Amino acid sequence: MIEFILNGKPVSTDDDPTTPLLWVVRDTFKLKGSKFGCGAGLCGACTMHIDDEAMRTCMLPISTVAGRQVTTIEGLGTLEDMHPLQTAWVDASVPQCGYCQSGQIMAAASLLKHNPNPTAADVDAAMSGNICRCGCYVRIKGTILSVAQQNLAYNAAQEQKA
Amino acid sequence: MSAINMSRRQFLKTTGIVGGGLVIGFSMTGCSSSELPITLAQQGFVPNAFLQITPDNGIRFYCPRDEMGQGVTTGLSTLIGEELDVHPKDMEILFAGVHSDYNNPDFGVQGTGGSSSLKAHYLQLRQVGANTRGLLVAAAAQDLGVTASVISTRDGHIVVAGKQYPYGQFVQTAASLEAPTEAALKSNAEFRYIGQAFQRVDAAAKSTGTAEFGIDIDIPNMHHAVVRRSPVAGAKLKSVDKSVALSMPGVTDIIEISSGVAVVAKKYWQAKTAAAKLSPLWEEVALSQVNSRDVRADYNQAMQQDEGVVDTDEGDVKAGLAAADHIIEAEYWAPFLAHAPLEPMNAVVRIENGEADVWSGTQGIVAAQGLVSRFSGIPVEKVRAHSTYLGGAFGRRGTLTHVIEATEVAVASNKPVHLLWSREDDIQNGVYRPASLMKIKAGVKNDGSITAWQAKRVGGNITPKTLQNMMPALFPGLNEGTIDFMVGLSQDIFAGWMVDHASVEGLYEDYDTDNKTVNHVTVEHDIPLTFWRSVGHSYTSFAKEGITDELAEKAGMDPVAFRLKNTQGNPRLNNVIRVAQQHMLAMQPAEGRFLGFAAHNSFATDVAEIAEVSVIGKTIRVHKVTCIVDCGIAVNPDIVRGQMEGAVMFGLTAALYGDLELVQGAFKQSNFHDYPILKMSEAPQVEVVIINSGTAPTGVGEPGLPPIAPAVASAVYQATGQRLRSLPLKIA
Repeated sequence: MIEFILNGKPVSTDDDPTTPLLWVVRDTFKLKGSKFGCGAGLCGACTMHIDDEAMRTCMLPISTVAGRQVTTIEGLGTLEDMHPLQTAWVDASVPQCGYCQSGQIMAAASLLKHNPNPTAADVDAAMSGNICRCGCYVRIKGTILSVAQQNLAYNAAQEQKA
Repeated sequence: MSAINMSRRQFLKTTGIVGGGLVIGFSMTGCSSSELPITLAQQGFVPNAFLQITPDNGIRFYCPRDEMGQGVTTGLSTLIGEELDVHPKDMEILFAGVHSDYNNPDFGVQGTGGSSSLKAHYLQLRQVGANTRGLLVAAAAQDLGVTASVISTRDGHIVVAGKQYPYGQFVQTAASLEAPTEAALKSNAEFRYIGQAFQRVDAAAKSTGTAEFGIDIDIPNMHHAVVRRSPVAGAKLKSVDKSVALSMPGVTDIIEISSGVAVVAKKYWQAKTAAAKLSPLWEEVALSQVNSRDVRADYNQAMQQDEGVVDTDEGDVKAGLAAADHIIEAEYWAPFLAHAPLEPMNAVVRIENGEADVWSGTQGIVAAQGLVSRFSGIPVEKVRAHSTYLGGAFGRRGTLTHVIEATEVAVASNKPVHLLWSREDDIQNGVYRPASLMKIKAGVKNDGSITAWQAKRVGGNITPKTLQNMMPALFPGLNEGTIDFMVGLSQDIFAGWMVDHASVEGLYEDYDTDNKTVNHVTVEHDIPLTFWRSVGHSYTSFAKEGITDELAEKAGMDPVAFRLKNTQGNPRLNNVIRVAQQHMLAMQPAEGRFLGFAAHNSFATDVAEIAEVSVIGKTIRVHKVTCIVDCGIAVNPDIVRGQMEGAVMFGLTAALYGDLELVQGAFKQSNFHDYPILKMSEAPQVEVVIINSGTAPTGVGEPGLPPIAPAVASAVYQATGQRLRSLPLKIA
């Protein structure tokens, strides 16, 4: 039995400890937002946050997440209460087929958490493990940079108020 | 012109075969009276196959085409919504089930591809919207006791004297009235939604992980299946020892199926782990002896020795070549490619009480229904086929081997089955963009006029291979012998009698010359082939534009001015090139960067691209691409932009990396480490310029792709002096 925190709630599973986290989340906990693309950590469609760190989960055995915080796209924001990146993603019509976008958004959210003011090169470096076969890169990159700018402007305004 | 050289359009009409996506247009007569696959809401009103309106003013649109990222749900809802006066954001958009009313008007069957959807449905869905609006206006006139002439409509409401009434209020009366059949359509000037760049209707679902793809389907008691297949296409299973895998946790069944051996387990990972323990042995087939170098050698030999079949023969090429001041002759190569959509192939099949359900993201859900019927023996009327979002397709999801597999497993295991391919399966057991060897010999005068164009292509043909996949699906009652006969016949026809147009399209059409020949030599190696984004254009543009650059150089002309001179007979392409030239003249590339240009017409859309490129050592870097497109009315300009951006990236992956190597009949590449996809850090900026020529819309899913490889190759020549004539581009 392995226990961990999934989107803020304690869960436990008797899946084999070598089972990759992606399949436990999808098949056992029925959260389908995280996707399978390569099974080899090469495409980023399965990206989740483990204790705030973006990680590929298609090869990550659940034994390694015991006791840790796992956040999926479903835990980042919902249709009714979106994360600022999700709102911006919709505003810019970023997705085409949409299959990679959960992973893209999770990778981007982790980037902005650790680096609120990334350069274009920082975005490239952080996002280059996330493949988009439809080629939405122009929009993904532009949207991350614009959300970062909005956050900075918002934070500056808050500081001024205080 | 040869008697067997039918034009493409004639050919399509005759046989109903189309390029770009799905195939076969047999009219499914008798189906139109059958029940619509629509779940009726409480007091819901269904005026036609595309709409359901509920008393609380819910407007449901049943989208007849498949959403693979090209924005078709937004585009088609815009067409019907424009005339109905309902904004797409206010509709509930559902994927249509199987019914002939949902046929693609261009294909005569339910299929999505060939950049056809907006073109094919442009007038049809607007007419349906207008007729439904007319019906609602008539019902409102009756209920409100006013004449129809005082009624206007806006955003899902009837408006009378400034007062608004939701459409839903009139559905009961509307149901008792006859709908008009030819209600007047708006003029272009009256459009409120067409031409506006509003958000995609699927953006929110796709940004929150809530969009449902085939892989996400989860039904009670669902088991998971993983298949081991021969690495060599067409090789049957010889033997397999099942004992170890069968004893592994969660495994319930191990089943021999037509494509190999399937492991069924309670969970995917259990099936996957157990399948890895199998060591199946496979029969040898002719392909088992074939390597990439053999394919190339066979193509080379055919190019030198076979005249092939005549596709086009206009004017007098010999005289044209004799009249030329300069003659250029060169060969171009393009390899086999996999589509690699990010969602691997999958299907869910449930068979219960003599009925079946199938869920899969396909480019033609009717084919999934047909395959389940054929391989389960359940009549088509009892097979419910459910569409989902497609996690990319690019032509790949017209071939539904995975639906056959899921059906065979569901039947044999007597369990609902979710069958999923791995990425390795996708790259090694797929259906491929054919490899092509192309030769063009052309003549040019010193004044820049092209005097002759002699083109030849060697390679496999898509159409018979696709027939092989589609016929069992679309004609589930037809026996295998008949299908084999018809497929064999089509292979013979295309090998010896007439050219499969998809094999040569784009090789010769764009530029003016009175003297042209196009020949084709079919060489097959039993490698499964199908449509791949932009089909024949994906490789012919590379040869056609490459030769054009060389002709311009011989004539001492600027390559863009040369193309302008030679597109007098092709005014829309000429205009696109002219606009591109203005953009190019204004560009000032930084030191070490070079501009390459290419233009191409495909799927009735004209595109020119300018690539800004640097070459450092052996690395080709594309910094910026400017794309000029004329696709008639841009129904949603932002989606047109997105499709051009995406096609540039897709085309760059092929131009810079795409290659599959055949080793003893098996493709060596297996995943994204050795079949790389362009990454964000390698992606250029893309600027899209849309020319609105105001004519009816033409395709945008594919036409952005063909110009990119030749545009980059042209820039590489500027940078290095090397003419690269093989894809992927590699600096010598």
